[in-house]
Formats: sequence, C-alpha cells, structure tokens
Amino acid sequence: PRAPGALRLSELRGGRLALLREIEKAKPIKCGTFGATSLQQRYLATGDFGGNLNIWNLEAPEIPVYSVKGHKEIINSIDGVGGLGIGEGAPEIVTGSRDGTVKVWDPRQKDTPVANMEPVQGESKRDCWTVAFGNAYNQEERVVCAGYDNGDIKLFDLKTMSLRWETNIKNGVCSVEFDRKDVNMNKLVATSLEGKFHVFDMRTQHPTKGFASVSEKAQKSTIWQVRHLPQNRDIFMTSGGAGSLHLWKYEYPAQRSKKDSEGAEMGVAGSVSLLQNVTLSTQPISSLDWSPDKKGLCVCGAFDQTVRVLIVTKLNKV
Amino acid sequence: MGAKMNFCSIELGLKIEKDADRRHRETGRVQFEPLTSSLTALLEKIQIVMGDESVPFLLDQGTTKTYQIPIAHLDYKFIEKCTDVKHLEKILRVLRSGEEGYYPELTLFCEKRIKHLDPGSRALRKDKPAATASDFTAEEWKTISSELMSWVTEMNEDDKKPQFLGTDTLHERQDNLPPIRCSSSCLPANQKNIPRDYSEWDKFDVEKECSKIDEGCEENNSKARLFSRPSIPIIEKKIDTTGMTEKEKIFIATREKEKGNEAFAIGDYVEAVTYYSRSISVIPTAAAYNNKAQAEIKLKDWDSALQDCEKVLGMEPGNVKALMRRATVHNQLQNYQTAIEDLNKVLCIEPENAIAKKNLLEIEKKLKGLKPVSETEGKGKRILIQDVEDSEGDEERGENTEECERSGGDKSSGAPVRGEAAPGPGAMGSAQRKFHSKGSKAEERETQKQKESTESGLKKGTSEKKPQKHLSGREGEVNGYLRSDQKGESPEAAVSRSHGARSQSAGGGNSTSLPPTAAKLKSEGNELFKSGQFGEAVLKYSEAIDYVIGLGEQSPDDLSILYSNRAACYLKEGNCSDCIQDCNRALELQPFSLKPLLRRAMANESLERYRQAYVDYKTVLQIDSNIQAANDSANRITKTLIDQDGPSWREKLPPIPVVPVAAQLHRWDGGNFTSENKPRSTTDINREEQLQMNCEKAEEKFQTLKNEGNDFVKKGKYEEAVNKYSECMKLNTKECTIYTNRALCYLKLYKYEEAKQDCDHVLQIEDSNIKAFYRRALAYKGLQNYQASVDDFNRVLLIDPNVLEAKKELEEVTQLLNLDSSAVVGNQQKQRKKITIQEVTESDEQEERQFATSEDDVTDHVTSKEAVQKCVPPQSSEKLHISEPSNAYDFGQIINAVNTNKDKAACADLLTITDPKKLPVLLSNKLEGEILLIFIQSLEYYVLGKDPDLVYQHLFYLSKAERFKVVLALLSKNEKEQVQQLFDLLAENQNHQYSLEDLESLKKVYEL
Repeated sequence: PRAPGALRLSELRGGRLALLREIEKAKPIKCGTFGATSLQQRYLATGDFGGNLNIWNLEAPEIPVYSVKGHKEIINSIDGVGGLGIGEGAPEIVTGSRDGTVKVWDPRQKDTPVANMEPVQGESKRDCWTVAFGNAYNQEERVVCAGYDNGDIKLFDLKTMSLRWETNIKNGVCSVEFDRKDVNMNKLVATSLEGKFHVFDMRTQHPTKGFASVSEKAQKSTIWQVRHLPQNRDIFMTSGGAGSLHLWKYEYPAQRSKKDSEGAEMGVAGSVSLLQNVTLSTQPISSLDWSPDKKGLCVCGAFDQTVRVLIVTKLNKV
Repeated sequence: MGAKMNFCSIELGLKIEKDADRRHRETGRVQFEPLTSSLTALLEKIQIVMGDESVPFLLDQGTTKTYQIPIAHLDYKFIEKCTDVKHLEKILRVLRSGEEGYYPELTLFCEKRIKHLDPGSRALRKDKPAATASDFTAEEWKTISSELMSWVTEMNEDDKKPQFLGTDTLHERQDNLPPIRCSSSCLPANQKNIPRDYSEWDKFDVEKECSKIDEGCEENNSKARLFSRPSIPIIEKKIDTTGMTEKEKIFIATREKEKGNEAFAIGDYVEAVTYYSRSISVIPTAAAYNNKAQAEIKLKDWDSALQDCEKVLGMEPGNVKALMRRATVHNQLQNYQTAIEDLNKVLCIEPENAIAKKNLLEIEKKLKGLKPVSETEGKGKRILIQDVEDSEGDEERGENTEECERSGGDKSSGAPVRGEAAPGPGAMGSAQRKFHSKGSKAEERETQKQKESTESGLKKGTSEKKPQKHLSGREGEVNGYLRSDQKGESPEAAVSRSHGARSQSAGGGNSTSLPPTAAKLKSEGNELFKSGQFGEAVLKYSEAIDYVIGLGEQSPDDLSILYSNRAACYLKEGNCSDCIQDCNRALELQPFSLKPLLRRAMANESLERYRQAYVDYKTVLQIDSNIQAANDSANRITKTLIDQDGPSWREKLPPIPVVPVAAQLHRWDGGNFTSENKPRSTTDINREEQLQMNCEKAEEKFQTLKNEGNDFVKKGKYEEAVNKYSECMKLNTKECTIYTNRALCYLKLYKYEEAKQDCDHVLQIEDSNIKAFYRRALAYKGLQNYQASVDDFNRVLLIDPNVLEAKKELEEVTQLLNLDSSAVVGNQQKQRKKITIQEVTESDEQEERQFATSEDDVTDHVTSKEAVQKCVPPQSSEKLHISEPSNAYDFGQIINAVNTNKDKAACADLLTITDPKKLPVLLSNKLEGEILLIFIQSLEYYVLGKDPDLVYQHLFYLSKAERFKVVLALLSKNEKEQVQQLFDLLAENQNHQYSLEDLESLKKVYEL
C-alpha cells in the first residue's frame, strides 16, 4: 500500500490479482504495517505524508481505529511488533520521520508515544529513513533500530531506555531489518544509498567495537529495501534502484565470537553469497515483502506503478 | 491513480542461466565475424583490409582504453593461462563494454575461465529477467503453479471460516499482555521522565529511575536487577496460548520450530532446545520432539533426548529418525542391547539405511568386546590395573584410578570408565582433578564427554573399542594401519602415502600386477603373519616368490615386497641372517626401499653388527628423516660405536650410500627403478657379506642355545631352560620368542612376577603378541590380579577368537573375579597401581610390525607419560584427516589425535590451516606441556621451512593461551632447549614480517 492516498486490497485469484477494495484517503500514505496487530484483528497501521499515524480496520475503513498526529513531517518508515504471533510482549508500533524523531506507540495509549528518541536541541535533525524492531524474545526485552540519511544507525534499547549502540555506514541508510524480531538479536541487515548492504552479527557486542559486520556490494544503485525470508532467517532479498531483486544467503563463520586481546568477547562476521538475482523493471523497486504463509511468495512495488507478485522456488534446498 | 495490476510469476530458481547469446552489433570500425579465433589472427585480417599503414597504429596503441590492459591479453591463449582473477575481470569488462570490438565467443570464454577460477566472482553476476513459464519444462511449471493454486484455495477457505472470536476472548488476551510501556508500568505517564534526545538517552540513569519506583513497590526490585547488562537471555519455555485459535497455534508452533531449526543450524543447541520446547508447548508435534531430541543429543543431555525420542515414537511408532536417535542415546548410555534393537527396527523399515547398518555393526562389536567385562561392571571394577615398573608416574595414575572408580560407582548402569584411565594426562589432567570436588551426575556427564573426545581422538583407551573401528572394513584403512606403528610418522606411513595403491595391494591381495595365485599366497602369508604364525607365513611367502620367479615376469616391485615381507617374518622369528638376505634381495630389486632397509638395519643391530645397522639407518633417514625409530636407533648405535671404537668411530664405518633425490620419501613410486643408479657399491655389499659371515657364529650360538632351551622345556626342565634362554638374551635382546618362552618357563615355575615382566617386555616390542598376552594373563591369574587377567584374555580373544584355552581360562578367571570382587573393591584404595592400557593392534597388513619398540624403550622409562605412549601404540585407522577446526572441541580432538600419534606432520598441517590468532581460543584451557612440545617440534620441522612468519605468529599467539605460563614453568631443560632451538632457527630465517626485536621480546615471554 504505497500509492498516495489510496489503499488497495488485492487477492490472488486464478493467477491474477483481483482488486478487493480501494480506499482513498486525503493524505498520501507512505508506509504501513500489520506488525502490531493480532492475527485475528488484522488492523493495518499506516504513516502518511502529514506525519499522522493511523490504524485501520480494513473491514470498516471509514474511520481509523487509532489516529495520532505523531510527527511534524512525513513518516518515512513504520514497523510493528508484538502482533501476528511475532514477538513477545505488548503490541507496539515504531515510526521514523523526516523530522528526525523516532517514536514508539502502543495502540492502547492514545495521543502520546511510549518512547521518543530525538536529537538534542541545536543538533541538526537528520532525516530518519527507516526503523525496525528486534530482540523481542521475552516480555521485557525489545530494541528499536533506526537508520538515518547521513548513514547513522542507532540501536535503542527499550527495556533500559538507552542508546545501546550506534555506527555510521557513510551513506544514507535506506532499510534496516533484523533477521527475526522475536529472537535474541541475531543479525541486522542495513542497506544503503550507494548500493551496499551491511550484515551485522548482533549476538556479540564488543564494548568498544560494537558488532561485527560484513558488507557486500549488490548493485550500482540504491538498495531500497531488505526483507528476510520468514521461514529462514539466513536468507534475505534486497530490492534495488535498477529494478532488480537479489536473493542472498548469510553463512555463519565457524565461530561467531572470539576474545580480543583484552579478553572481551567480540563477534565474528560471516559471509554473504548471492543465490539468485533478477531484474524486473527499469524503475527502482521500492518495497518488498514475503508471505508469512507460503514459502517463497513475495510481493514488490516499483516506481513504474506496478505491483508484482513473485514466487521463489527451491528455497528449501538452500 | 490507475496503476495497472500486473501479475508476473517469476522463477528465481537456482539454476544458473546459460549465457544468452549476446547480440552482435556492428561497430564503426571493423566488422568481425564470430569465427575470429584470436586477436592476433584478427590483426592479420585488419592488415589485409586496412592496408599496412593502419597496423602500426593499432599495435602502437597497445593497451585498452579503460584499464590499460595490453591488447595482446585479449586472447584465448592468454586468458586460458591467466590465473589472476582481477585481471581477467578487467578483461571481461573491456570485452563486454565493446570498446575494443565485440567478440562474443571470447567473452564467453573469458567468463568460463573466471567461473573456473572463482565461481563467486562478482563480474559474473548478470542482470537477468524473471523466469516465466517458458523457462521451465511443462512439468516443473505445472508443479509450481499447482502448488500455488492449492495454497491460494487453502487460504481462501481459511478466510471464509469464522476467524473472529467473541470479544470476551479478545479482552482476555489483552489482559495477558504486559502493561503499556512507561505510562502504566514503571515510569509515570509524565513525559518529562522519559529522555527525549540522544544525549539524554545516554544519561538516563536506569538504576536511579528504578530506585525511585522501588520506593513505591518492592516488586520491581527483581526487575531492576535485570537491567544490568549483559543479561543472559531469558526465554520463556512456554507460550501462553489462551484465547488463540487453532490456526494461530499452528502458525506459532511452526514459527517456533523454525526458530529452533535456525538456532540448531548455527550450533546454538541450548537456544534450539528452548524454541522446540516452546513449539511443543503450543502444539506437541513429533517433528518438534524429534528435533529437540537431536539438539539434546548434541548437548549430550542423553536422558532428555531419550524421553523425547520416546514421545516421538509414542506418536509415530515407525519414525526412523527417532529410532536412530534413540539408538544413539542408548549407545551413549551403554545400553547396547536396546540400541541394537532400535537399529534393527530401523533396518526393518529401511533395509538400505547405510548409517543404521554401520552403527549396528559398531555397537555389536562394542557389545561383543564388552561382554565379559560388563559382567564385572556392576561390582564397580572396570579398570585395567597393571603394574608398570616405574614409580614416577604412580601417584598421578593412582589418583586417576581412584577417580575413575568413584565416578564409575556413581552410576549403577555404569559407563565403563576405562577410557579415562588410559589417555595421557594431557587430556585428562584437568578433568580428573575436577572429580575430586564434585560427585554427582554432572561428573558422570563430564566423564562421558571427556571420554568421547579422548576416544575418538586418541583411540588409546579401551581395547574393546579398537577392533570395531578396525574392522569397519574400509579399504583405505589398510593404508592407515601402516602408520599405526611405533611413533607418529612411521616409515610405513610415508611409504604408503607415496604409493598407496601398491601397499594396498600388499594388504588386500588385490594386486594388479601380481598374478592371482601369488596374490593369494601373499595375502595368506599376511594373514599368518598377523596371527603371529611367522614360520607358516615364511612358507607362504616363499611359495609366492617361487611362483613369481617361475613366471619369469618382470615385476620387481612385487617381488621386492614379497622379499621384504618374508624378511619381516624372519626378523620376527629371530632368523636375522635370512632376514638380511631377503632384505638384500628386496633392495636389489628396489633400491632404497624403506622397509627392507629398516628391517636389515634391525637385523644387523640384533646381530650386533652395529656399523652396518648404522649405515642402513642413516640411509633410511636420508629417504625419510621422520622415522623416529630409525632416528632413535641411529643415536643409540652411535653411542655404542663410540664406546666401542672411540672418537674415531666414523672412520671405521662402511660408506653410507647417497640416496638419489628421486628416491627420497617416495619409494616404489614407479616401475622404472632400473634407471636409477645402483646405490650400493659392490665393495659395500662385499664387506657387508664378510661381516655377515663373521657374525654367523654368534647367530649359530644363539640358535643352539635357543634350541637347547626349547628341548629343556619339552622335557619339563624349566629351570635349565630359563638359564639357556637368559643366555640367549645376552646375545639378542630383541628376540621376542625367547622372552615368551622364558615367560612360559617362569609360569611353570610359578614365578609369576618374572613371567609378567617378560611378557611386558615382549609387548613393548611387539604390541600384539598373542602368546605374550596369553601368558601374561596366566601370570596375572597367578598373581591374583584377576581383572588384569580378564583383560589380557580378552585381548587374546580379540586377536584370535578361536583360542579355546583362552576362553576357558577367561571363564574361570571371571568367576574368580566375581568371587573375589568384594574383597578387591575393598582393596582398591590401597592398590594404587599404575595403570596403563595395553592396546591390541589388529593389523590388516603384516608389514606394519617390524618397527616394534626398540630395546631402549623398555629400559628407559623416564616418565609415566612416555610409558603410556610406548605401551600404547599410536592408532589411527587412517591418515589423520586434518580439517580446519571450527571450535575448541574439534581442535582439542585433533590435537589429542596428533599427540597420541606424535604425528608432527599432521600437527604441522593443523597449524598451517589454523589461524594463529584463533589459537588461544581453540586451545582454551587444554594447553599441556606435551602439546606445546609437539607444536614446537612440528613448527620446527615442517612449518619453519615454508613460512617462518607463520611460526612466529603461532609462537606469539601460543604465548597468549591459557595455562601457557604454567606449562612453560613445567618444561624440562631438554624441552626448553628445543624451544630455544626453534627460536634460533627463526632468527636465522628472519624475514620482514617480524623483526629481531620482536623475536627477542617473544623469547622473553618464553623465558629464554
């Protein structure tokens, strides 16, 4: 659902996508997620160009079930956790906006975010391009990872309410995602503007060096999005500015951590190998998602106004 | 807004698309046909087309525009030879860009070449369109689309079902949820309490915030403590499923199982077990239980694994995986019978299951080997106790004995702990010490673990475990046996590796060049040799030799092997002169063969022809300097000769032949030996023959004495016989039969202690002498050391299951043992005897034995460690396979194996592939003096020459390892000298990677 102001619900029917319903809203919608709703309710949370966070009951889309003017500017990115059977603990939504703030919302609490992360007064505000939840393996633990236009990646720990880690990958961070939201932080993939992506091993945090990472150049153009296969966390797909999709596999190193000279544990990054790539369009593919139910089924939206549904076969043989 | 909806079904399958033909475009300059084979040819063409003037221009240009690659590199020949992937990638880019013209075939060729060199090269990545129906065979496409369709229908059906539960259940669910962050939980709703900017986030004092709350409620206390990082991940083992629909449950159960699988895949078994448990807590499925069992097996949590397997089998009685896993668990818990039952069930379901078959065979062997012993297990006696003459190691050993008993006694089902008693203190020391303080199940597990690691790696341990490994019957093991001889790098190993096929033929009798009859005779001979019937073996070999000679065929290497084998028999029999003759023949046929040389050296040595022996040993060492036995013997003889001839002893030596380079280390590797120079000058041989004549007398005397002794035995005059044999021994200390004969006499004279000593001596020399084992067993029986006796009988039966007497005796002794056991248990504490476990070598190849321990091994026990090493011949069923160790456990296993075999080459391999930086991690706390020493040695002998920097790196990181200081402090002076030597060599081989200062500082670390 990326078309400005319009939501389309479609259904796979007989090899064709059939339009179920078209919902038009005043403000163009930038992003949406089902991540914080139960499997039964299936409420869609959206962020729009006006900085509003809305949650819709798609059966009755006239009025949002939850609405808040969360940000001063466009909400670039949204993620949810605690719903869909993914992630322990409360359902929460995180939004990242051009106004430089990252806010965490609980649909049960009106009007105010439950956590707010913004730069100090005076510090230049960076455009937050992407947000992601992770580490939600029990009721207490939860982290939010945010990527900014200047290449900053910040990891906020919601349990201790602290900035746990930050790094800079030099180029704007287009997309971040944990391989699993609901396990003890395992891997984080961050993609960047200039066509590289970084895979961080999030298991071992070194006091000074942080997390070990491996980077790979996928294509010459921006990698717009990364999504991990819900059925296998070590396989992920990146969508690129040149209209191409790349399917990757992360290979763990023999040992994931080692002791440095001072005896502190530090992580060891593995390697990434390309499984397959495909070019679908001449325009960038800006969004991508996998089906949680059917292994290998995925959908992607591109700037050429097209939504494509793909199936990736033989994934179980990887 | 009318975006059109497209449906593209796309295959991102894994097949690599064949490079599509690139379109030919016409360039402005020249038109090229695809048939242009190379650029050189092309230039000629241009010459014709363009006339002479343009060519110099083209040639002058010389390089491509983009990467400045010489134009000549755009050529088939160059690309074919080039191994620089980077360069090739550049070439490919130039070719693809078309700026030098389009050569589709050359491009294709270049791509192929890069793919060959570096399949993962990024240059090979190409954009390709999504696959469509046309890219598949009709069948494939049908499966894909039908799968998709069926899924769609399924989902639609689900959707139609009522999904919304009543509101009350929804509310119920929400009540289970944790409170809203901040507002209603710990932090007051007041926003100011929450940090708003990054710097505030950093300053946010969790403890303070929490203590504020603590004032209000005590409950939060525990929470506050949890804040300290790094916290151990606490994952609930159960999932609250109240209010969930069946669909949700299935979804969550599957998801949790998948998480478990992922954790399992990366080796995080604890986490895997947790997630499987979670999955089970939602919906118990056989698959989840099964996977959990597997993870628990990995964690060596046998009990839980067993339970889980049983649950699976409760749900699906015919689940093969569960049966296999249960068999594994039973095997580990020593319930061999049940394990066998499970495996049989598996084989009923899947008669072709190779793993099950293999395991079954192994377990049956184990069971067979263990049976007699297991009778005694219940009584808490499962240790081999043997007196060994040296006292130094006694204390430690005794301690081990005690430990083992204690831990063994903990569990009535009783894993035999004998594995522990045997391995060198290197592996065991730390684990054993721990046993002192604790005394519970954990201990047992530790034992198990330790045992596993030592068993597979060292194979020192139980004699019972041995044959099963040996008999697993792989052809390749024949080679392996060759190295199981004396120490580490045995000459056979060297030989066998260089001409594997040939030595295999020697073992298996499936020689290609030997005529079948001869091959048969030879394998019969090998069998006889193995069972210790050397006389008969000689006959067989002689027949084979006659047959081969009679055929008149030119198969010198086979003949040479036959002679060499017969020589081995003669050597065993003590018939040294014949042995020498055979060796000479073998060497005539195959100059510089290791085995005949070594055998001749030994024979010469036992005939006290030290000079010849010395020359032969030296020759052997020229061929392969790693033969420890030869090294030792050469040194020993040097001493003797100096004693004998004074400082100028070298002058009296016959000339040592110079071994041609071609012959070094790879003997018999070709049939064209004739072209090689004959190594031994005729004078040399003559002189040797003269000396041989001189020594014939001594030999004769020896024989007569022996015969007299034998006669006395026949007449029952054991005292006299002992005297005769003792005289014999003065002449030849290496003759096993004399010792076994004398042991027999001692037995008859009820002098058990002496008999045992003689047997021990024999076993030092020849580790699988059946007679020696049998007689020692009798001696133990006489000494009322029934346990040891039982074990020796078992070994006898392992070597030859058909020895009826041994069986009878075994039964008797076992009964005695049972009667006696209570008393013995009481005595155990006092009986702090040194234990060593004797190993039985089951050899598939007769040739392996002649390097039995040389004399001084018997007398020169320095430390208990050495004693153990020498008693226990290093066993490896095949050449140590060194693969890069992934974790400390793997590494430890390899090290143990290496250490047992003293296999420096393998150790060097290991060190070469191991990243020095990882060394401390891999070693963890397992560093021992022995390990350090073997590292030093292998670095010196093997690695230094190739890569001094690596040696330096290793030394550097070795010093960072745990226990390094301790180990260093315990090194003997001798050992320190070795380290020093290595450093000296390093200094000599200095290169730019490390400076002398570095070396000096490192030396200080090594306390030199």
